[in-house]
Amino acid sequence: MDLRVPSGWFFSLLGLILLGMGVFAPDTRAALTTANVNFYAGACMLVFGLFLLLLAWRATRSNR
Amino acid sequence: MKLFPVDYLILALYFAFVLGIGWRLRKGISSSGDFLTSGRSVPVWITSLAFIAANLGAVELIGMAASGAKYGIMTAHFYWLGAIPAMLFMGIFMMPFYYGSKARSVPEYLKMRFDEKTRAFNAFSFAVMTIFSSGISMYALGLLLKLVLGWSFNVSVLASAAIVLAYTFLGGLTSAIYNEVLQFLLIALGFAPLAILSVMKVGGWQGIVSNLASEPYMTHAWKYMGSPTENAMGVEIFGMVAGLGFVLSFGYWCTNFLVVQRAMAAESMSAARRTPLIGTIPKMFLPFIVIMPGIAAVVLAKMNLGYTLPVKATGGPDYDQVLTTLMTQFYPAGLLGVGMTGLMASFMSGMAGNVTAFNTVWTYDIYQSYIRKGASDHHYLTVGRVTTVVGVLLSIAAAYVATRYNNIMDLLQLVFGCVNAPLFATFLLGMFWKRTTAHGAFTGLTSGTAAAFLTLSCTQAEGKGGWIAQLHQFPSQMAQNFWIAIVAFATCFIVSVLVSLVTKPRPDKEMEGLVYGLTKVPHDVTAKWYQRPAPLTIAVIIMLVILNIWFR
Repeated sequence: MDLRVPSGWFFSLLGLILLGMGVFAPDTRAALTTANVNFYAGACMLVFGLFLLLLAWRATRSNR
Repeated sequence: MKLFPVDYLILALYFAFVLGIGWRLRKGISSSGDFLTSGRSVPVWITSLAFIAANLGAVELIGMAASGAKYGIMTAHFYWLGAIPAMLFMGIFMMPFYYGSKARSVPEYLKMRFDEKTRAFNAFSFAVMTIFSSGISMYALGLLLKLVLGWSFNVSVLASAAIVLAYTFLGGLTSAIYNEVLQFLLIALGFAPLAILSVMKVGGWQGIVSNLASEPYMTHAWKYMGSPTENAMGVEIFGMVAGLGFVLSFGYWCTNFLVVQRAMAAESMSAARRTPLIGTIPKMFLPFIVIMPGIAAVVLAKMNLGYTLPVKATGGPDYDQVLTTLMTQFYPAGLLGVGMTGLMASFMSGMAGNVTAFNTVWTYDIYQSYIRKGASDHHYLTVGRVTTVVGVLLSIAAAYVATRYNNIMDLLQLVFGCVNAPLFATFLLGMFWKRTTAHGAFTGLTSGTAAAFLTLSCTQAEGKGGWIAQLHQFPSQMAQNFWIAIVAFATCFIVSVLVSLVTKPRPDKEMEGLVYGLTKVPHDVTAKWYQRPAPLTIAVIIMLVILNIWFR
C-alpha cells in the first residue's frame, strides 16, 4: 500500500470539511482572532492532500 | 472547551482512516518478520517521519509548549542540541552495524556483539519501561480528556486502548509506523496555524523579544547559560552540552529500540542510514510549531487581551495547560476538532510505538531466547499477536496504577533515567573499540546504572532524590538529570575499558559486521549525490548552525 493514497484522501477530505466551515459558517471565530481560520487552514490541507494524491498517481503511472 | 458536531466528525474521520490502514495492511502479514520488523520493506520517507514521530507523543507536545512558557527558547535545545547531533551520528556511524548485523532488535545486537547476559539486562529493562511509558501515555490522555472535555477517564482509556490494539494487531509494526506518519502530518498541519496565529498576535518574534525585555533569558538560547542562576532552567553550559547534548541525547536516539526500530524497518542499508539524517530536517523546525506557542502565551498574558496563563488548584501557573487553553483562544469549531484529534492521535501513537517495540523485544529477545527456542515461524507470529494483546492489557493496568499512586510514575521515570543513562557508553565502546569484551560491557553497564542510582540517592533537586545523603543540592531537576547522566556514562565507560583490558578479547573473525574496522561500510554508488549521507549531513549542520546563531 502506498501511504500517500490514504493520507492524501484524509487531508483532502479534512480540507473540504474546513473549507465548508469557512464558506458556510464564516462567523465561527475564536476569541483572539478575526481571521477566517477554518477557510485558510482548510485550503492549505486540501492542497496538501491533492499534492500527495498527485505524487501517488505519478508513481503508479511510472511503474506501469 | 466545548466540541461541536463538526469536531466530532473530524475525530471520527481520522479514526476511520487509522483503522482502515490497519485493515488494509493485515493482508501483508504472513511471517513473524512482517509483523514484528515490517519485513524490512518500508520506504525511506516513511521511516524518516516515523523516526521522529515515535518521539513526538502528546506528553512531549504538551510538555514542549509548557517548557516554552516556563524556560523560553532554551527549550529548543531539546531539539537542536538534544536530538540532531545524535541523529546524524546514528545515521552515519551506527546504522551500518545495526542494519548490517541483521539483528532484529537492539538487545539482539548486544547479544551478537557481547553475550547473553548483556542482552538479557537490556531486554528486560526495556520491556518493563515500554509498558510503563505506554501506560503513562494512556493515563495522561485520560486525564487530559477529563479535564478539557469532561469525558470519562475510564471510557477515554479503554476506547483509546481498543483503537491502538485494533490497528497494531491487524498490521503489526507497519501499521504502527504508517499511523505514526499520518499523526505526524496531522500534528504539523494542525498545530502550525496555532503557532502562526499566536506569534502574529503578539507582534512576531520582535514583539516577543520587546515584551519579554525584562526576562531576556526567555528569548536567547545560549547567552544566559554561563551559570545556572542566569536562566529559568537552572543549568549551565557544561551540564547542558555534556548531559543533554551528549549523554542523554545519544543514549536516547542511538540506543533506544523504540526509535531505532523505525530505521531498522527501512528497505535497504542506504535507506536505513538516511532515515535519521532526513528526519533531522523536520525535527529542526519542530520547535517553531511546538515551543513558540508556549512563549507566545507568556507574552499574550502580559498584553491584557483577555488571556491569562492557566492556574493550578494549589496556586502558581499550570504550564501543562498552556497548549489547550491557547487552542480555545485561537481555534474555532472545525480547526479545534483538528487540534484535539492531533493531540489524541499523538497519545495513541505514543502507545502504539511502545507496544510494537515491546512486542519485538518480548517475542525475539525473551520468548524465543529463554522460553521456547526453535519453534516454527508461524508459532512466533502467533506469539507476536498474543503479545500485542497482553502488552495493551498491561499498559491499561499501568495506567490504573498511575491513577492510584501518582508519585510512582515520577519515581519510575527517575529509575528509567538511571537505567538508560550508561547505555550509550556500552554501544560506543562496543561498536568502535573491538577490544571491548563481554564481561567488560556487562560490568560497565551495571556499575554505570549503580552509579546513576547512587548519584540520585546522594543529591537533591526540587525535593527529589537524596534518600541516602544530601551531598549536593542542584538548582533544578533538569540539572540533576543531566549530571546523573554524565556520572553514569563516565562510570560505565571507565569500568568497561578497565575490565575489558584484563579479560580475554574475542577473536576478530567473530565480530565481522559488528565492529568498526572489521566491517565494510557500504558505499552506495548508485545513489545520487543528494542521497548520500555526507552532503545531507553537511547541509543539516549548516542549517543548524544558522538557527543557533539566529536565536543565540
